[in-house]
Amino acid sequence: MQNAAMNIEDKGGDQLVLHVGPQHPGSGHFRILVTVDGDYIVGAKPDPGYVHRGAEKMAEYRDYIQNIPHLERPVIIDATGVTLPYVLAAEKIIDVEAPDRAKYIRMIMAELNRIISHLYWLGIYGIFLGHSTMFMWPMGDRELFIDLAESIGGTRVTFSYVVPGGVRNDMPTNFTERALKTFDYFEKRIEEYKKIFFNNPLMTARTEGIGIMTKKDAIGLGITGSNLRACGIDSDTRKDEPYCLYDNVDFEIPTRKEGDSYARCIVRLEEMQQSMNIMKQVLDLMEPGPIKQVIGGVMRGEPGEAFVRTEAARGTMFYHIVSDGEKNPYRVKISVPSFRNIIGMTHLLVGSRLADMPAIYWSLDYWPVEADR
Amino acid sequence: MPSNLDTENQLVKSLTDKFKTKIKTEYVKHNRIKISTSQDNLKSLASSVKELGFEQVISQGGTDYPDNNVFRIEYHIICVSKKKLRSIMFSIMTEISKDNPEIETLIDIFPSAEFHEQETYENFGITFIGHPRMERLLLPEDWDDIPPLRKDYVLPGRG
Amino acid sequence: METFEEFVKRILTILFWFLLISPLIIFPVLFLLIPILGIDVTFANEILTATIDPLKAIKLADRYGVGPSSTFFKVAAFPGFTFAALVATLTILYERKLMAKAQLRVGPLYAGRFEGFLQPIADLFKLLGKELVVPEKADKTFFWAAPIISLGLGASLLAVIPLSPTSYIARSDFSLLIPFAIIGFSPLVVLIAAWASSNKFAFIGGLRALHQLAAYEIPMLISILGVVVLTGSFDLMKIVEAQKDVWFIFPQFLAAIIFYITILSELERIPFDLPEAETEIVSGWLTEYTGMHFGLLQLGVYIKFYVLALLFTLLFLGGWNGPAFLPPIVWLLTKLFFVITMIILPRAVLPRLRLDQLIRIGWAWLIALSFINLFIAVIESSLGVI
Repeated sequence: MQNAAMNIEDKGGDQLVLHVGPQHPGSGHFRILVTVDGDYIVGAKPDPGYVHRGAEKMAEYRDYIQNIPHLERPVIIDATGVTLPYVLAAEKIIDVEAPDRAKYIRMIMAELNRIISHLYWLGIYGIFLGHSTMFMWPMGDRELFIDLAESIGGTRVTFSYVVPGGVRNDMPTNFTERALKTFDYFEKRIEEYKKIFFNNPLMTARTEGIGIMTKKDAIGLGITGSNLRACGIDSDTRKDEPYCLYDNVDFEIPTRKEGDSYARCIVRLEEMQQSMNIMKQVLDLMEPGPIKQVIGGVMRGEPGEAFVRTEAARGTMFYHIVSDGEKNPYRVKISVPSFRNIIGMTHLLVGSRLADMPAIYWSLDYWPVEADR
Repeated sequence: MPSNLDTENQLVKSLTDKFKTKIKTEYVKHNRIKISTSQDNLKSLASSVKELGFEQVISQGGTDYPDNNVFRIEYHIICVSKKKLRSIMFSIMTEISKDNPEIETLIDIFPSAEFHEQETYENFGITFIGHPRMERLLLPEDWDDIPPLRKDYVLPGRG
Repeated sequence: METFEEFVKRILTILFWFLLISPLIIFPVLFLLIPILGIDVTFANEILTATIDPLKAIKLADRYGVGPSSTFFKVAAFPGFTFAALVATLTILYERKLMAKAQLRVGPLYAGRFEGFLQPIADLFKLLGKELVVPEKADKTFFWAAPIISLGLGASLLAVIPLSPTSYIARSDFSLLIPFAIIGFSPLVVLIAAWASSNKFAFIGGLRALHQLAAYEIPMLISILGVVVLTGSFDLMKIVEAQKDVWFIFPQFLAAIIFYITILSELERIPFDLPEAETEIVSGWLTEYTGMHFGLLQLGVYIKFYVLALLFTLLFLGGWNGPAFLPPIVWLLTKLFFVITMIILPRAVLPRLRLDQLIRIGWAWLIALSFINLFIAVIESSLGVI
C-alpha cells in the first residue's frame, strides 16, 4: 500500500508542485501538496499523519482513569476540551454523575481553555499574515488565562483536571476576584486587537472574500465549530445538546453570514467574549458544595457503549466508547474537529492564490496534532 | 434528564415503516437512536436517514469483534441546520465479515465521511468500494504490519 | 557554558596581553632592522607613540596615503563602507529593540551590559561560526556570487552620496541618478540568488521580487523627478543647497509619500515583504542561504536601507541644513534616524499584502500619482514657489 501522495511528481509545463510542510514555517506537523499554476493553486492535497501516535489503540490498554492524561496529549492547548467529552462518556459507562459544583467548575475550565486556544490561534494567524505584533500580543495575554487555569488545575496546560465523578480539587478562594480582574483587562485588549488587526484595512483586504465557504458546502462537507458558524449556521453543541449545566447560563452564539476568512476570525474573537460572559455567570451561580463523587475501587462499567459530543475550542469533539465490562475500554473512537475540517481545506484552497494559502489554512484553525491523534 | 422521546420515536417509525424487517432498532434513548441493518441495505438506509434531515457524518468508525469474526461499522450522523433535530445523534450500524472486509462507500450520500472512511480503511483494512482515494492517511508509509486497530494487533511491549 | 560576556572578556584579555608583549619582541627586531634597511631612525619612535596617541596615528597614516583626507580612507571608513556597515548593524539592533517595545517584549537583552547593545557582534560571531551549506543541485558559481554581488552593489551605492558639504567620496553632476542606476541592478541579484538556489520556494520568491521591484522602481524614479524639476539639477549637493529655506517635503509632499512607499517596497519590508513571506514561501529567495552567505545578503539589504533613508533625507528633509549650533553631519544623522524609524514602524502595525494587490498599487496608483506630482512640480517651478 503505497501512499499516492508520494507519487505526485512535477508534471512539467506551467505547473509546479510545492510541498508545503512538514518542514515549513507555515504548515505545522502537516503537509499540503500544493500544485500552483502561476499564482493560482490548481490542486491541493492535505497529507496529515506526521504526528499520528495511535491514541485510540493505546487507549484500549489503559484503564478509565489512566486514559485522561493520555487522551489529553493530542490537544494540549485545549486540554479540557478534549478530556471533558471522554470523562462524560466514561461517566455514562461507569454510571456516576458529577455534583453541580463540579459541573460548574468544568464549565469554567472548558471556557478558559477555549480562550487559551483561541488566543493561540489568533497569534499564529497574525504571524501567518505577516503581522508580528498580532503574534506577540495574544501570546502575552494568553499567559494571563493560563495563570487562571493553573490556579485551578495546577499545571499550565495539561491539567488532567476533569475526572469521572467530578473534578480533582476545588477552586482557590480568590479565583473570582482574579478572574474578573483578568476579564476586565482582556475586554480592553480586545478593543486594541480590533484597532490594530481586525479593523486594519490591509488585514481586511487580505481576508475579506477569501476562502468563501457556502452554507451548503459547509453542511455537506461536515465542517464544524467556528468555521460552520462563520457560514451562518448557529449550531453549537453547548446549546444543541447542553451538557454540564450550559442550559443554566445565557449566552449568544456568534455567527456571520459571509463564510470567508474574515468571518471565521471575527467569530472566534466574539466567542472569546461570550466565554467570558459564560464564566461571569457561572461564578455568580456557583454555590459551595461537594466537587467529586468518590468512586471506590477500580472503575469498571457495564458492557455497553456511550456517545458523547461537546463543544471544544475547534468544534464538536465526539467520543464513542465501547465497554465490555473490563477495566479498560474495549474501543475508544475519537472524532476530532480538526480531522473533520481538513476536508474543507482542499475545497477552499483550489482556485485561490498561493499568497492566500496561509490566510485560508489557518483561518480553519487546523491543529495537526489533534487531527492525527 | 427529560425523557420525552416523541421526536426520536417518530423518526424511527418513519424508517421502520419504510424498511419493515430489513432494519433492526437497537435502542432509542434520549437524543440517541441506533439502527442496525445488513450490509446490502446500508446505503438505502443512509439515504433515507439523509432525507429525514441528518446531513453530517460526525464520526465513522469500526470495531473489531474477533469472537464473532465480524467488524462492526458505524456511522454517527447529526443535523446542524434544523433546530428540532440538532440534539439527536443518529447511529446506523452494520456488521461485515472479517474474511471479506468490503463495503460500499457512503461518500456519495455523505461527502463528510470521506476522511473517516479512509481512516477506517487503514486502521481495520476494510475496503470501501467506490471511494476515490482508498489510501493511507495517518499511518506511516512504511507500515507493513496488520492494520493496528484490529484486536489481533498487540501493541509492542503490551502483550 | 561560556556566556557572551565572558567570551568578549577572553578576547579582550588576549588582545591586551598581545599588545603588552608585542613591543618586547617587535621593537627590538625593528631596531635591529633599521641599520640594515637604512630607514629613518624616527620611524620606530613614531610607530611606538602612534599606538597610544591617535593624533600621531592620523599623521602617520596621512604620510603613507591612508589618512582621513585620502581616498582610501573615504572609501573604506568614512563616509564609505565601514560607516555604512556600522549604521546598518545599528539599524538592525534598533529595529529589534523598537519592534520589541511595540510588542510588549524586551528584545535583545543579554549581550552587553546595557539593553543588549552588543547583540550585532554576537550575531556576527554566530553567523561566522555557521557552516556554509551549498545545496547539491545549486549552481555553485552563482550561489557563491549572489551574496558578494549583493554586498558590492550595496557598497557601490555609497560612492556619490554626500554626507555633508565636506564629507563625500566622489562628486558628480549626476549624483542623484547614479544610485538609482545601481539600484536598478538589484532585481538581478535576487534572480541570481533565486535561480542558483535551485529551490521552488526560492524561485517563486525571486519571481515575486522581480514583479515587485519592476513595479515600484518606475514610480520611485518619477517621484524624484519633481525635486529635479524644482532645483534644475541632478546634483545632490545642489539639491540640498536649494533646501536652505524650505524643505522639499512641503512643496513635494506627494512625492515624499510615494518615495516612502517605494522605499518600503524596494527594501522588501512589511507590508511589501512578499519575496520573503515566510508563511507562504519559507524565506523566499533567501531560503537556501546560511551562515555568512545570509549575513552578507542581509548586510547588502541593510546598506541599501541606509542609502535609501539617506536619499530621502537629502531629497525631502533638507539634508544637513539646520541651525548652526550643531555641525551639519549631526543634523543629517538626526534626520536619518527619524527616517529609519519611519521605515521600521510599518512592520509593527501592518500585515503583508498580496501580489495582485501590490502590483495594482504599484502600476495603477503610484505611477498615476507620481505623474500628477510631476505636474505639480512643473506648476510650482513656473510659479516660482521655490
